[in-house]
Amino acid sequence: MKTATSGRTLGMNKIVWSYIGVTVLLVAVTCYSAVTGSLKVSVIELFEGLFSGTHETVNIIKDLRFPRIIVSLYTGASLAVSGVLLQAVMRNPLADAGVIGISSGAGLFSLLFVSFFPALFFWMPLFAFIGGAFACFLVYSLSWKSGLSPVRIILVGIAINAMFTGMGQSFNYRGSYAAGSVNQATTSIFTMKIWKDVDIMLLYGSIGLIASLFLYSWCNVLSLQDKTAKNLGIHVTRARLVISIVAVLLAAVSTAVGGLIAFVGLLVPHISRFLVGSDHKVLIPFSALAGALLILSADTIGRTVLAPSEIPASIIMTIIGGPFLIFLLRKGGRIHGN
Amino acid sequence: MEIKDVVFSYDQKTEHLKKVSSVIQHGKVTTIIGPNGCGKSTLLGVMSKNYEPKSGEVLLDGKAISSYKPKELAKKLAVVHQHNDAPADITVEKLVSYGRMPHKGMLSQNKEEDEQAIEWALTCTNLLAKRNRPIDQLSGGERQRVWIAMSLAQRTPILFLDEPTTYLDIYYQIELLELIRDLNVRHGLTIVMVLHDINQAIRYSDQIMVMKEGEIIVRGTPEEVINQETMKAIYGVNVVVRQEQGLGLYIVPVGI
Repeated sequence: MKTATSGRTLGMNKIVWSYIGVTVLLVAVTCYSAVTGSLKVSVIELFEGLFSGTHETVNIIKDLRFPRIIVSLYTGASLAVSGVLLQAVMRNPLADAGVIGISSGAGLFSLLFVSFFPALFFWMPLFAFIGGAFACFLVYSLSWKSGLSPVRIILVGIAINAMFTGMGQSFNYRGSYAAGSVNQATTSIFTMKIWKDVDIMLLYGSIGLIASLFLYSWCNVLSLQDKTAKNLGIHVTRARLVISIVAVLLAAVSTAVGGLIAFVGLLVPHISRFLVGSDHKVLIPFSALAGALLILSADTIGRTVLAPSEIPASIIMTIIGGPFLIFLLRKGGRIHGN
Repeated sequence: MEIKDVVFSYDQKTEHLKKVSSVIQHGKVTTIIGPNGCGKSTLLGVMSKNYEPKSGEVLLDGKAISSYKPKELAKKLAVVHQHNDAPADITVEKLVSYGRMPHKGMLSQNKEEDEQAIEWALTCTNLLAKRNRPIDQLSGGERQRVWIAMSLAQRTPILFLDEPTTYLDIYYQIELLELIRDLNVRHGLTIVMVLHDINQAIRYSDQIMVMKEGEIIVRGTPEEVINQETMKAIYGVNVVVRQEQGLGLYIVPVGI
C-alpha cells in the first residue's frame, strides 16, 4: 500500500514538473523570440515599450514579430492537439494530420480558394476545413474493412497525402505569375504574418482548442476497444465523428494560416505521453503547450540561425520528424499494453 | 432476459446463429459451452448489442435491447471481453473508473456514488492494494480481474464474460471462477459466460447451454445436460461421466 501511494505521488510529480517545465520554456522562448532578430531590444525595454506604446522599435516589433509569434504558437498547439485526437479516434499512434493527408487536403482547398476568391480571405479556414474533412473521409472510408487497421490507415493516408500534395504543386506550377501570391498557402513561412492572420487563427483555433478540452473522456474510452467502449454506453460512431471534426478543424486552420507542417501531431503527442501519461485529461492541454513550444522554437531557430536568410519551420520539422517517425516505427507496439 | 428467434450472419451468406431462442434465468449463473466456431461468443455479442441480429430480438426486462439507448443498456448489462486493450500506463483505479461512464451525464455526476462503486469493485476483485499500479505491471490473472472490476463498477445486475479463463493458468482460472461465483451468490448478479472447460462449467454453473453450429442443442442444469451421449454428439469425444461424493459430477475424456 505504501509503495502504491508513493508511486502515485511520483506520477503526479512528474506531471506537475512537466507542466511547469513546458510553461517556463514557453514563456522564455516567447520572450527570446520577441526580442531577437534584425531589430534588437532588451526584454525590459520590450515590456516598457508595450505598456507605454512610445518605443519606436518595440512598435515595429509588435507589428512584425507578434503576429508571427502568435500564429506559430497557435499553429503548434492546434497541430499537436489535432494529432492527439486523431490518434485517439483511429487508435493509431502514427496518425497525424500531416502524414495522412488531412493537412494537404486542407492546403489544396485553401490554395484554390485564395486563387479564386482572394477577397474572402477570412473564410479561408472554412474552405480548408472542407478540404481536410474530405481527405479525412477518404482515409476512413478507403481503409475501413470491418474495423480500422493501423497499418492500412497509414498506407492509405500516405497515398491521399501524396495525391493532394501533387495536386497542390501542379496548381502552383500552372503559371509563374500567380505562384508568388499563393505560395504562402502551401509552404510554411511565418514571415508575412500580420494581425489579420492572428484574428483568423485566434477565432477558429480557439474554438477547436477549447472544444478539444471537453473531449477527454471520449478519447480515454476510445483507447479501449470499440466493443468495450460500446458496452460502457458510448455512441462510438458519434464520438469518433465529433472528435474527428475537431481534429480536422484544428489541422485545417493551422494549415490555412500557418501552411503545411508535418510531424508536429506525431512528435508532440508521443513526447507528451511519455512525460504525462496517456490520460487525455492531462495529455490534451499538455500537448497544446508542448506543440506551441516546438513550433515557436522551430520558427525562431529558422529565422535566427542563418539570418538574414530563413529556414521555414516546416522544413525544420521535416528534418526532425523523419528520423523520429522511424524511431516510433521501430519502437512498435509499446504504445498499447495488454 | 429472453432470446427470441435470433438469426445472425457475419457475411450474409452463412447463418452463424440459426433461429436461436432461449431464456436466461435471473440471479443464476448460465454457462454457454460448445465446440470452436459454434457461435457461443457470437450469441453473447448479440445479447450485449455488439452485433445486430438479422432477425429476431433479445428482450431485457420485457423490452427489446435494440430500443435501449447505449447508456441505458450499460446500466443494466456489463461485458468482460476475451481480448482487451488499454494504454500500458493506465492505472488500475483509472481503468476501473471508466466503468462509471454510463452513470455520467453531460454535467451531472455523483462523485460519492462513483467512489463507492469503484471501491466496491476493487474490493470484490481483491485489487485494493494494486489500485495505483499501471496495468502493464500486473499478472495476466490480475489484469483480467481489473477488466471484471471495470464492469462491476458499472453496477449492473447482469454480467457477461466471454471466455474469462482463457490465457490463464489453472490457479488464476479457479481464482476467477470463485470470484464469479461469489459475485453471483453474495451480490446476486446474473452471470452469463462462455467457457471451454466442461468440468469448470459443471462446477460453477446453475444452467448450461450447449451450442453446436449456431444452434442451442440443450439447456438445463449440469446434471441434466452433461452425459456421454451429448458429449459425443456435440464434441465427438468419448467421455466417462462420474458422480462422486464430495466431488459431484465430472467427466473424463477417454478418446475420440
